[in-house]
Amino acid sequence: MVQPLDKPLPSATTDRQRLSGRIRQFIYHHRDTLNGYGFLLPFLIIYLTFLIFPLLRGVWISLHDWDLLIGNLGWTGLDNYTRMFTRDNTFWLSTRNTVQFVALSTIPLVSLGLLIAVALNRPLPLMGLFRTIFFSSYVLSISVVTLIWFMLLNPNRGILAAAFQLVGLEPIAWLNNVDLAMPAIVVTSVWWTMGFNVVLFLAGLQDIPRAIYEAAEIDGASAFRRFFSITLPMLKRTVVLVFILQIIASFQIFGQVFLMTRGGPAGSTRVLVQHIYERGFRGFELGYGSAMSMFLFSIMLAISLIQLYVGSRGDQIESGMK
Amino acid sequence: MTTQQAGSSTINWKKWIWLFTFYAVLGVFAFIWLVPIVWAISMSFTPNTVLARQIGGLLPTAFTFENYETLMRVSSVPRWFLNSMIVSVGTTLGVLVISSMAGYSLSRINFRGKTFITVFILAGLMVPEQAVFIPLHIMFSEWGMHNTHVALMLPRMAIPLGTFIMMQFFRAIPMDIEEAASIDGANRLTVYLRIMLPLTIPALTTLGIFTFVLSWNDFLWPLVSATRSDMFTITIGLASLQGNFAQSEGLGSLMTSAVVASAPMLLLFLFFQRYIVQAVKTGTRF
Amino acid sequence: MKYHSKLVSLMLVMVMAFGGFAIQAQEEGVTLNLSRFFGVCDDEYGGFTDIEAASGECGIVTTLINNFNATNDAGITVVVQGTEWGAYYDQLNATFAGGNAPDIAVMHRTRLIDYTSRNLVIPVGEAFEMAGIDVTDFPQPALDAVSVDGEVFGLPFDLHTLLWHVNADIMAEAGLVDEDGTPIMPGSPEELLEHAAMVQEATGMDYIAMDATQFPLGVRAVFAMIWQQGGDLLNEDRTAADINNEVGLNALNTMNSLFEGGFANATYDYASSQEAFINGETAILINGTWVVDFYTEQAEDESATLTNYVVSDFPTLFDQPATWSDTHMWAVTNAVQDDPAKLEAAMTFLSFINDNNIHWARTGHVAVRNSVLESEEYQSLPRRDEYVGTADIAFAFPQVLRYQTMEDILAEEFQAVWLTGKSPEDALASAESRINDILVVR
Repeated sequence: MVQPLDKPLPSATTDRQRLSGRIRQFIYHHRDTLNGYGFLLPFLIIYLTFLIFPLLRGVWISLHDWDLLIGNLGWTGLDNYTRMFTRDNTFWLSTRNTVQFVALSTIPLVSLGLLIAVALNRPLPLMGLFRTIFFSSYVLSISVVTLIWFMLLNPNRGILAAAFQLVGLEPIAWLNNVDLAMPAIVVTSVWWTMGFNVVLFLAGLQDIPRAIYEAAEIDGASAFRRFFSITLPMLKRTVVLVFILQIIASFQIFGQVFLMTRGGPAGSTRVLVQHIYERGFRGFELGYGSAMSMFLFSIMLAISLIQLYVGSRGDQIESGMK
Repeated sequence: MTTQQAGSSTINWKKWIWLFTFYAVLGVFAFIWLVPIVWAISMSFTPNTVLARQIGGLLPTAFTFENYETLMRVSSVPRWFLNSMIVSVGTTLGVLVISSMAGYSLSRINFRGKTFITVFILAGLMVPEQAVFIPLHIMFSEWGMHNTHVALMLPRMAIPLGTFIMMQFFRAIPMDIEEAASIDGANRLTVYLRIMLPLTIPALTTLGIFTFVLSWNDFLWPLVSATRSDMFTITIGLASLQGNFAQSEGLGSLMTSAVVASAPMLLLFLFFQRYIVQAVKTGTRF
Repeated sequence: MKYHSKLVSLMLVMVMAFGGFAIQAQEEGVTLNLSRFFGVCDDEYGGFTDIEAASGECGIVTTLINNFNATNDAGITVVVQGTEWGAYYDQLNATFAGGNAPDIAVMHRTRLIDYTSRNLVIPVGEAFEMAGIDVTDFPQPALDAVSVDGEVFGLPFDLHTLLWHVNADIMAEAGLVDEDGTPIMPGSPEELLEHAAMVQEATGMDYIAMDATQFPLGVRAVFAMIWQQGGDLLNEDRTAADINNEVGLNALNTMNSLFEGGFANATYDYASSQEAFINGETAILINGTWVVDFYTEQAEDESATLTNYVVSDFPTLFDQPATWSDTHMWAVTNAVQDDPAKLEAAMTFLSFINDNNIHWARTGHVAVRNSVLESEEYQSLPRRDEYVGTADIAFAFPQVLRYQTMEDILAEEFQAVWLTGKSPEDALASAESRINDILVVR
């Protein structure tokens, strides 16, 4: 840590004193720069080593035939990329599935989150309890969520199947049905992560002065009307932000399908990250996996840039959602 | 808390009906939301043998502590739990130290290159874990550092979200507090430690909670880095138990592991939840 | 629970007794790191050393290792890095990549070449000879299973095949038993459907069940039908797939006709298919040798619906008998290469495993030593006589790099037929082109 020297150092000779004086002068003149970088240094080192450097190295690796177990087997130029775009059907299929998941999950995650946040943003008793309930599922880890939902959705042993039978319906094999597996993954994901969006919306809602609502109420505006004329316009920036964050988070889907369906049935839920993992760590082809990682990264970068463009001030947070 | 306005009785009537409907709908929804959790807890108290034949209900049909007892005595779950604790606490402390320092620097000190560095660091928010996990895996392989706690901590600490949040918090603190201290001759480190840091305790708490939750629940990186079962985090350990075969037999035990794995997260959240909305609010800065 | 509380407390005492022993041993001897699957069952078998009393794959393998740790004179301690099935190979690969490779790894024969081709698993022929492990006692198929280019790379543990597990009561109700009550198996695709219809008519139950969605057992049954027609999935020099043909189509159509006819539930996963069988909701279950002892136990359990349990070889529906098989084996990794003490310890351990081959066979697996196969003890194992022929009709996936990827592709495409209604022709064509794409990559 760089610290300005406040007391003169005890020194024996004048020469030394002069030198130390110069150092002191230098330090004094540049104290802000030294302090600034000094405080930054620990983070910067970790940031450069474990995020920026790996990113660049990932590009490098993607241009090689890189075996998981024996390492670099030589430069292959853009071969991995041409293979990905022209020959690998599974890559396109998993891209399609990923986009499908994003499309299916984003709307309910955002709209349901908003709806519940608006409902909870009232000076009524028990609202804190409800908030806790809806947020509680977010703190569970992915393997807990998938474990519970895998059983819950099981057509032969699940509680949902029991409920179906109770009302005289045939239980459905959600996760083994090509048309229903992805929606089931979506429902699981909504249950898991919606709470975070609720909190984001609540934070935004608290900035809207209550007086505006009270005035509207006195004017006789209905709840419906108040939502569309006050809440939504004033919350526009939050909605856009949550929307973008959700799209980015949804593109990264992996754990749910990896643990619940393993990409099945018949490949209908295999997603991009899973394909990267499977090619890289099961098929030993890290170079190829890296190339697909770069593809995923560029999609998400594009979405982030759109967000920067849309958000005028450029303020953003990353949800860090899974 | 309700502010009841004096009005005609019909309005009051309507209001009560509305309130009742509101609570009823919300209550039903919240109940449905809780079903999976309650069900898991219920199964964790049901003997495995009972669950192998018939599915558990929301209340255990037969009650036992055996699953918990066995879990504590012989399974790897306590070991995984410990790993998760070490990794999550380590990551959280690391993030708090380096992010608050970096956030302080970028928001309170003027120096050359600051704008560039700020943009350079914020750009890192756009780099997803999935883009770097393969090169990270290769790097840690080269260093022979897989299956260590440190390997699970460092990549999580490189994510610039914490720095960004801390930057926002420091910015919100009035400048004159710090200036007064500087005039008294205190150096930056003293100012940072004695004056600024105490002011950001709410921010640190929130950042701490989120870092802890995300680290505890981290999946992709520990999946490829922690490959020895004695180094599994609880998230990976539980995932490893979810083979086809386990589900047919020790369902009760499996649910017990899930409950044990989730309990600290839920408790932590219940304890600190009042900070969360407040903190997200400051972090988003609208 | 298979054990009563008395036994549990007995185990506890043993845990304590042998726990102390293990710590002592660790101080003086060699430690061997071992990666294996077969599940984790420490809650039931942690510290348990009575091999005779253990049951099930997980129980027996855990007890074998516990027993070795407790009884070997050389002070060797085997430390298990056990994981469940799901991500086993992914994690094994990651340990190799990360330089944390175990000393010994359990693997399937179908995976072996992926590791030998990268010099990660070392040849052990000479070491076996010195340790007194007699490779000539291995039947030829077992020896082939652990060999690459004529060199021995590990110790075979078993031969496991696909069997038809039969609920003889349901078969009897449908009139599908002979005079001594032995279930009658179909001899052609047509007969298969006839039998299925008879069971459905007489009992309303499914004729057959299998994991058709997750673990590719239904898919491997299709492999068996391909082998029964003389096909072999890949061409002779293993440079291209060979399934998009008459043989593949016959096999896939036969399997699909069971689902299309409503005689089998295409949505079952492993657990549900097994549950259906134990609950008496299906006449036949296609599953491996590894569950024979478990189903036998279930059939004896009064509360299970299944009572009259019989095992049958995979019936010959086409020209020649064949069933799917694979082999579990113990491979020694390059982590041991330059450490003579470790290599010696590894050989001591593998000798022990080899000596106890009979116990592993109790799960239902086929033993891999002639001396065991011929022993009376082996032949008197429950139901062994019912599927004695399975070893002779066992086929395995051709030895090829990236077997996993290829099986994944086949599983995905075949399952698409019965789950999504994709035409068998399309599925075979697209499986063939996808496999060829994998085969051209180095």
